[in-house]
Amino acid sequence: MIRVAGLGKTYNSGEHPVHALKDLDLNIKPGEFVAVMGPSGSGKSTLMNLLGCLDTPTSGAYILDGVDVTRLGDGDLAAVRNRKIGFVFQNFNLLPRMTALRNVELPMLYCGVPAQERRERALQALSMVGLKDRVHHRPNQLSGGQVQRVAIARAVVNRPVIIMADEPTGNLDSRSGLEVMAIFQDLNRKGATIVLVTHERDIALHAARILHFKDGLLVEEEINPSPVQALPTPINTSEGAEGEVAGR
Amino acid sequence: MNILESVRVALEGIVASKLRSVLTTLGIVIGIAAVIAVVAIGQGGRAILMAEMEKVGTNIFAVFVDWRKSDEATGREFSLNDIDVIKSRVPEITHLSPVNNTSADVRGTRKSINAQVLGVNADMAVIRKLNLKSGRFFSQDDDLGKRRVAVVDESLAGDLFGRTEPLGQRVVINDTPFVVVGVIAKGDSLLGFGENPRIYIPVQVWTYVFSNFVGYLEGSTASKDQVTDSMNKAIKVLERRHQQPGLYQGESMEQQMQSANKITGVMTLIIGSIAGISLLVGGIGVMNIMLVSVTERTREVGLRMALGARRRDILIQFLIEAVVLCLLGGAIGMTLGVGGAFLIARLAHWPPLISWWTVFVAFAFSAIIGVIFGILPANKAARLDPIEALRRD
Ligand SMILES: Nc1ncnc2c1ncn2[C@@H]1O[C@H](COP(=O)(O)OP(=O)(O)OP(=O)(O)O)[C@@H](O)[C@H]1O
Ligand SMILES: [Mg+2]
Repeated sequence: MIRVAGLGKTYNSGEHPVHALKDLDLNIKPGEFVAVMGPSGSGKSTLMNLLGCLDTPTSGAYILDGVDVTRLGDGDLAAVRNRKIGFVFQNFNLLPRMTALRNVELPMLYCGVPAQERRERALQALSMVGLKDRVHHRPNQLSGGQVQRVAIARAVVNRPVIIMADEPTGNLDSRSGLEVMAIFQDLNRKGATIVLVTHERDIALHAARILHFKDGLLVEEEINPSPVQALPTPINTSEGAEGEVAGR
Repeated sequence: MNILESVRVALEGIVASKLRSVLTTLGIVIGIAAVIAVVAIGQGGRAILMAEMEKVGTNIFAVFVDWRKSDEATGREFSLNDIDVIKSRVPEITHLSPVNNTSADVRGTRKSINAQVLGVNADMAVIRKLNLKSGRFFSQDDDLGKRRVAVVDESLAGDLFGRTEPLGQRVVINDTPFVVVGVIAKGDSLLGFGENPRIYIPVQVWTYVFSNFVGYLEGSTASKDQVTDSMNKAIKVLERRHQQPGLYQGESMEQQMQSANKITGVMTLIIGSIAGISLLVGGIGVMNIMLVSVTERTREVGLRMALGARRRDILIQFLIEAVVLCLLGGAIGMTLGVGGAFLIARLAHWPPLISWWTVFVAFAFSAIIGVIFGILPANKAARLDPIEALRRD
């Protein structure tokens, strides 16, 4: 799925160059759930941006789903982000004026999915994250956990080959964080490949493999034979979702 | 991204900040309203002017002495014989009359009025398309026989004779008595032509009563295509007969119409360009707000890019927003402009002329302004770096 060799990123914007990522070799197989940990400034987000094709490396090779993406131009990279990658951000990044439904429809706007199908797929994705009865709510009418679940629905709606989540639980309380992790694990169980950045070991332990970064270097690869199973909290039923809001 | 969706996003943005949108488009609104109103009023005015001139006749002309070329009037610039000579040499000229004009006191049975006393021949009734309310215009025999007959304006007749039937009444001009044989119906001119009270008498009598002098010639041809040509031929004849090359100048209604057309055209253009400047200012206002909007929505742009929007998609989205904003302003401006044109037209009593053409051009123009002034902000948005943009708060 992901094959990375000698990948490096150097920023030359400041006085002296910053080597945010150094000589990384990494393979991620389809269906893997990988967590990335490391202190602040260790290059985690840099890695996510490179893997997510938002940024181009200064050195090294990156093969995503059989395609050498380092050779692609702007337009093709946009298409790769659209079809093959699903992003989940720490700060959610939903468009505030749009309903949950339309936020989830967004990625499909950029690959010409007809309106009817767009709607159906968005509804399906939203019910998958347990927000069937929140589709016409706007982000400010949803709780943080619900907003992040909408964001996950948006990330998976175009059936990407890999999901990139940069500290998806960073802005959530622990309970909502666990709900989000339950969804990720659920997706993973259904075959999704996930790379997830986190500061919290508790969260990282939900993954089967944990990468530790320091100063732009991959310093340790930890195999986690028995990932913690986040309880599938009652988010899959609408009553549960109601109850959750009422509980806040 | 598909265009419909972009339009929807644009409209949502506009609705979400109504006041700001309205203020943004104010320049466009005023500009378009002004253009529409000015053009409509201008075209209405022109149509009126043309209709008016058409009514007077487009096949008439006049020949004057160019007084800049003559040191002193000799009274021999024209002679009454010129009429017949010109008519025989230039057969296209079907009617030709000398016009002598002076103002004098005209005494009727009721009171004395100062009026224009015109000495003309029988052709004048045809040339000026005089519409007789009662009686007749004087004939060639009246003229040649130097009969003291007169034709008066309807309003002048009222002043002179009160309610008494004017036909057969006597009027006295310069101690010479005349018999009224005809009354000219009041014109329905909107521009107020022919408002002075007028009385027509045979030119042969006029020269006897006032002085032996011919003011200028007025004539008409069968069709308006012949008028300028025939007028020039008549001038040639006059020059030869009086051995005064370059002394005469002619003026045809056709030429006047053209210059009137030109004047109204230029006026419309001038006012139109002032309105155009307001559109320009409006466009800059839209650009300004679009730039602000791009800055405010940097994160949105970054997100859309992360979700797969190409730079082109972002460019088009912001362009469409600018165009939608301008079209909205254009539509409001159009409504105001059309309303204004109708109002002014009603007050001025002339038809407002709003052609589909004007409406189309105004809309196209709003859209073009949107594109021109939207391109800079849209380009700014499209060139954002997605990572930078996503990090912005
Ligand atoms: N655009 C940039 N220009 C210059 N330096 C940058 C840029 N982006 C990141 N860096 C530097 O690269 C290094 C890695 O940054 P990165 O954002 O990847 O860290 P991180 O591991 O995600 O940290 P955190 O846990 O705080 O999110 C940092 O030293 C940072 O200052
Ligand atoms: Mg980071």
